[in-house]
Parts: sequence; C-alpha cells; structure tokens
Amino acid sequence: MGKGSRSIKLLSVIPINLLLYSVLIIPFALMIYLSFVSYNPAAGYNWWQAPFIGLNNFYNALKDQRFLEAMGRTALFVTLAVGLEFFLGLVLSILMLGEFKGKKIFTSILLYPLMLPWVVVGSTFYLIYQNYGPINQIFLKAVTGSAPNTAWLANSTSAFLAIITADLWQWTPFMFLILYSGLSTVPKRLIEAAEVLGASSRQIFWRIRLPLIKPLVYIAIILRGLEAFKIFDTVYIMTGGGPGTTTETISVYIYKLAIVYHDISYAAAVSLIVLLIVGMVSWYAIKVLMK
Amino acid sequence: MASEPKKVDRRKFLYAGLGVVALIAIGAATYVAMNPPVVTQTVPTTSVVTTTSVVPTTSVVTTTSVVPTTSVVTTTVSTVPATVSERAINGARVLVASGKVPKGATIRILHVAGSRAQIEAAIPSWESATGTKVELVTVGTEGDVYTKAMQEAVTKSGAYDAITIFSTWNGDLIEAGLARPLDDFYEKYDPGYGSNAPCSPIEPLASYVTKYKGKRYTVDLDADVYTLTYRKDLFENSEYQNGFKKQYGYDLKPPETWDQVLDIAKFFTELKLKAPTGAPFYGAYFYAEPRFAAYTTWITIFTSLGGILWDTKTMDAKVDSKEGLDALNKMIKLIPYMPPSALTAGWADLYDRYAKGEVAMAMAWPSMIKEAERPEAFTKGKNGVSLVPGSYVDVGGTRKLIRAAPNPVNWVGIVSNYAKYPELAYLFLQYMTSPEIGPTVILSGTILDPFRQCWFHGSYRDVMEAGYTPEFLDAFEESIAHSFPDIVIRGGGEYTGKLTENVNAAMTGTKDPEKALSDTASEWDKITDKYGRSDQLTAWQALVNLFPDDVKEVWKAKGYL
Repeated sequence: MGKGSRSIKLLSVIPINLLLYSVLIIPFALMIYLSFVSYNPAAGYNWWQAPFIGLNNFYNALKDQRFLEAMGRTALFVTLAVGLEFFLGLVLSILMLGEFKGKKIFTSILLYPLMLPWVVVGSTFYLIYQNYGPINQIFLKAVTGSAPNTAWLANSTSAFLAIITADLWQWTPFMFLILYSGLSTVPKRLIEAAEVLGASSRQIFWRIRLPLIKPLVYIAIILRGLEAFKIFDTVYIMTGGGPGTTTETISVYIYKLAIVYHDISYAAAVSLIVLLIVGMVSWYAIKVLMK
Repeated sequence: MASEPKKVDRRKFLYAGLGVVALIAIGAATYVAMNPPVVTQTVPTTSVVTTTSVVPTTSVVTTTSVVPTTSVVTTTVSTVPATVSERAINGARVLVASGKVPKGATIRILHVAGSRAQIEAAIPSWESATGTKVELVTVGTEGDVYTKAMQEAVTKSGAYDAITIFSTWNGDLIEAGLARPLDDFYEKYDPGYGSNAPCSPIEPLASYVTKYKGKRYTVDLDADVYTLTYRKDLFENSEYQNGFKKQYGYDLKPPETWDQVLDIAKFFTELKLKAPTGAPFYGAYFYAEPRFAAYTTWITIFTSLGGILWDTKTMDAKVDSKEGLDALNKMIKLIPYMPPSALTAGWADLYDRYAKGEVAMAMAWPSMIKEAERPEAFTKGKNGVSLVPGSYVDVGGTRKLIRAAPNPVNWVGIVSNYAKYPELAYLFLQYMTSPEIGPTVILSGTILDPFRQCWFHGSYRDVMEAGYTPEFLDAFEESIAHSFPDIVIRGGGEYTGKLTENVNAAMTGTKDPEKALSDTASEWDKITDKYGRSDQLTAWQALVNLFPDDVKEVWKAKGYL
C-alpha cells in the first residue's frame, strides 16, 4: 500500500469537496463581494460591474430601524417559542415516561405535525385565525355563546401570538422527541436507588434525570433556536409581516429586500450581520455546553 | 516489512483546495483587469427606424422558391387588407421562408399558471398556420414570474423568448436590460394601435402599459381596470331605497363619490342583515390587506382628489400631501363597515365574500364579475357594475367630479433581449392579442380581460357577452377610458410595497395615518435616490403625460403640472 492508495483516497474525496466549494464557499464569497458593492439588477449593469461602496451597506443596516426591529422581534419570537416548546416538550416527555395503553399510537400522533411542510402549517393556522375560522366560530362560540367577529391577524399582538402558536404546534414534538429519548435512557438503577433512599419524584427529576440529559437539552435548544431564528414560511403566509410590518421577522425582511425590492447588495450585508450575530450566540452557547 | 502509507491529512487537503480556489479567483480577477468590461447601461435614445417591409400587408398567397445560392420570397398581393392576426402569421411565414427562423422553431414563453388556458387557446391555430411551435413555461404565482424574470435579467441565459409580466414591473425589467424595445416590430407589423386603427386598445391604457420613457416595450395582453360591483337587487329594493332616502336625503344608487360610498356602506351594515352563509352582512369591501392590494383603494381616492405621487420638477414624493391624508382617513372611516378580513386576508377574499352574498359592494379587477356571475355564486344575476367612485374637485373655479379608475398590475408581454427568436416571439404576442384571435383567448380563462375598442361593440360584443354581463362591458369600457397607470417606473414594486405596508399599518391602527404617509414619502425618496433622481424624474414625467385628461386638468389647476 503506498502512493496508489493515497491517490485513490484523494480522488474519492474530490467530488464532495468540489460540491462543498461550489455550493457553499463560492456563493458565500460572492455574497461577501456583493455586500461591499451597490448592486441592483434594475440598475442596468452586471454584478461584476457594480460600484464599490465599502462598508456603506453595513453602516446603513445598523441605522435601519426596520432591520433592528425585525432582529428584536425575531429574538423575542425565538425566546418565547423555543422556551415554551421546551417546557411543553419536557412536560409531555415526563408524562410519556410511564407505560400506558395506546402509547405508541399516541406518540405517532404527537409527532405528526413535525412531518408537515411549513407552508401547510402556515396556511392552516392562517385559516384558523380568520374571523370566520374555528377559533371564533367554534371554540369561542362554544365558550361565550356567540361567535365574535375578531380578525386575530389584524392586531399586531394577537397576530404575533398566533404565529408563536403555529410554531408551538409544529415544533413541540421535536423537543418532545429529543427530551423523551434522553429521559427514557436514564439508567433505571439510578432511579431505583434514589427511590430506595427515599427521594421523591420531584427530587429524582431535578437531581438525577435532568442533570443527566443536560447535554441533550442544550443540543435541543440550540438546534431549535437556530431553526426558529430562520422562520419565514409561517410568517409570510399568516401575516406577510403585517399588520404593517409588526410581525416581520428578519428572514421575511431579507426576503423582501432581495426579492421584492431586489436590493441584492443591501440584503447581502444584512444577511452577513445576522450571520455574525447568530454565529456569536451559537459559539457562546456551545462554549457553555462544552463546560 | 512494508512501511505504513502516509495518511492523507484532511486539513492540508482542504487548505490546498482553498488555495486552488484562491488561485482561480486571482486568475479571474487578473483576466478582468486586463480586459475591463465595458459598462453598459440602459439609456433611452431616440432612433429612427427605417424598415423595408417584406411582410405582406394584404391577404396573400405566398410562394417561396429556393435557388441554389439565394432564397427568394415572392408574394402575390391581392386587394384585401390583411388583419392584425394575418400580418402576424405572414410575418412568421416570411421569417421561416427566409431562413431567419428554422421551420419548426420553438419559442418559449414564461407565464403564470392562471393564464395557461388563455394562451393555449391561441397556440394550435398559430402552429398550424406558421409551422412554428410555442412552448409554455408555467410558474405558480405572479411573484414567481417576477423572480424568474429578474433571474433571467441577471443570467441572460436566453431561456425564454417572451415573458408575460405585470406592467408594474415594466420599469424594473426594462432598466435591467431584459425587455427588448419593440418600436421596430410595431412599425413593421402594425399590431393595430393608435387612433387610426379600427380596433385599437383603448387609450390611455394602450399607451401607459406599453410605453416606457416614450418607447414601446410591451404588447398589451389585458386590462385590469377596477370597476365597482354592487348588489343591484339590494340597491333596487324599495324598502332600502326609502330607508336610505329618509336617512341621508338622497337616492340610493351606485355611489358617485367616496362620501356616498361611506353613507351606503354604513346604511347596509347598520341593517344588520345576515348573509346566506350566516355571516354578518357588510356594506362594502375595499382592499386594505398588508401584502399587496391596500394601495389600490388609497391610490384611487388619492387620484380622484387630485393628488399626484411625485413632484414633476423635483421627484419629491407627495404621498403625504393633504390629498394623501384625506384619502387615508376616508379609508379608515370605512373599516367598521367592511368585513374584518379586509385588513388581513389575501386579495381573493373579496371575491369570495362578495360572491357568497356577504357584502353590498366591492371594487376589484374585471375577474370579479366572472366570479360573481358563476352559476354557483349566490350573486348570479344580482350584480350591477359602475365606474369607480370619485371626488368633487375645484378645477379653475368649477366643481368637477373626477372619477379615475386604477389599473393595478395588468398583464403585458415582453420579448427578451436574449431571446433566440425575438421577432417570432413578438409575432405570436401580436397574434394572440389581435382583434380576431383575442376574444377566443380572453374567453378561455379568467385572468386576461378585454382591452380593444371593437370588442365592446358590434359582432365582437355578442362574443364577449358569453363571458361578461352587458352592464359590465359598458362600465368596463368607460372605466378603461378613465383609467390611470400603476407605478410603472423603475422600483415600481418597491414603491407600491412600501405604500401598501404603511396604508395597512394605518388601517389596522398600528401607525398614525400622518406618520404612515410621511414614512412612505421618506422611504420613497430613498428609493428614488437609490435609482437616481434625474433618471426617475424622466420616467415619471413621461408617465404623467399618459394619465387621463381630466386628472391632468386637475393637476394643472393645482399647479402640479
């Protein structure tokens, strides 16, 4: 075994590395380039002829009230949605620890929302929250006796909460899946030993189960947090970022910049700023995890 | 003993790969530096196009003889003038016979799914007559067409010969270099435009959807002028007529002004009727939703009040003028008398609610009457149609009623600058929109609507009444003649997007109306500066001239023109 073997190894990794460069690195390099120029397809010149403007796009982004609001709004969404998903996922996984009849079927039903495309979830919840939807016509009518005519998506607060609800419905099963898999693999001997020593269920949970699944908890929160930050489909379909721009998340804003306003360079700069912020937060979170 | 093979260090390999990429990038940069690209920009120029027509302009028998070294096209001319569609067919035949286009050549047209049935209606006869083919590239939504068109403007791949677009995008796609100027083809093949043509598209629409900075760039496929559709059965109900007269002191009839709209909407809402669906019945539905159409209501009221979007000398945005604020406040007053979904639902919700009998009147596209007259619609046979409401404005000491109908979006066809067969693509567009073929196209689907004068009269009228009510056709023809363009300059989509967001914000109470409009004006000024104020002003000045005469009269009286 000598040079021939080494050549075969090199050759075998070339395709995947070429793919990596072409799909990831070259477009990323282009994006960096675009963020330093002023390019707009409707300007009438090609992208490689775009005038260099240095850090202007970044400077404008940091002064852009709409960008800052979208970032803040997205951060709030992530905090609330992921926090609630974690809590509900944990509760569900604790409840599912015991054995009961129909547990497998119930687990399958619980995981069903995860399999739906975001577009389907967004469309469904859009209809649910219309004034003619089941929230007013069935649920509230049953509770209050008459169906209110509330347009939930016309109010910025209720629209924001509606989006969170849609996200909760779809992604709580994800948290449940990770936490349940962790909790169910805690060694039974530790639980039994604690029970023999007189520990209550609460103490067992807080002192034994949860500490043992801490790495999984961090992974679940980081993964879900990164995904939640990118939320687009649900927001776009349910509210379009409205009323006005009061439910506009950063992905929706960047979409509008790049596709609707075709301000490609500015969208590139904004995306890089977002990448930097998310990267820093993720790095810090992983650093905590590694402790 | 054989020595262990040296292990491949993955990190070194990756670094080596990055090094190769860097070398390629440096090489490319060096190449570009040594061969500096010529900056080209779309600059409108006036050019005199001299063409020698080889297209038979009369009905012809065309023969082709091929000799060893040259192809010769000979024509026998008869005395019957060729029609618009015949000129298109003959033109295609000449292109094939002369070898400019190979026999059996295929043109590719990008379009939205909703128009597929209509465009397809023209294809069999075209293919049979010309021996060329048409391939439709269908995408799902209007937004997808825009995205693909912009991609094509950037990539210049030649993937499409023609694209059907919203006229709102004319400025963007023309300035991006995608749309080919068509003056030469108009001159050569005469699509039947202009006051001398017997069946011209109705002005001012014919000009403002096809021209940009004074040149033709598109072929009109459609008219999207708004009309007011109302429940004739309710308006003619004697009980409601008496009640309205008693309450408001004038007769209940289709509103002529926006103040009357408010009165009628309030009247019907306060009757607390129930729709057949069991839902509450509302007096009106005008677009106020956040994604797309909120601006249509506002711009209609604004224009009827004599508002102008930009200063014609400085290109300063004037949406936050008194007319703009009045228009927005009138819209806000309508909220209690419209379904709550008017603020949140998509554009199709208006159609759905009206057709289900939940609304007394609504303003929308021509397809609205098709929806309202479907056999399953509750409103079938109950619809009246009129010109959109307007406002009384003082014009040189005389009080005049200005009713100006918006023409939001409007499908047009462009020929790609990178098309393989641009002339053939243009000829197909001319063919499918010709007076003779156009009615078949229009009646084969829903999203393209009539726009030529003769389609509203005579024998074509009978054909059109298969798809539209007689009352609608009369109102629609009048509306087209009083219509004004969308924001058909570069950045049109961006300008309307910002306006729609802020109008919706004011309507939903998340922004003060004055702030909403001043924010819009400020954002519009930024867009203008981004594209170049002087260039935008040129485009706006050209567009202003294409507004209807009564609107321009008001602007002159107010000193805007």
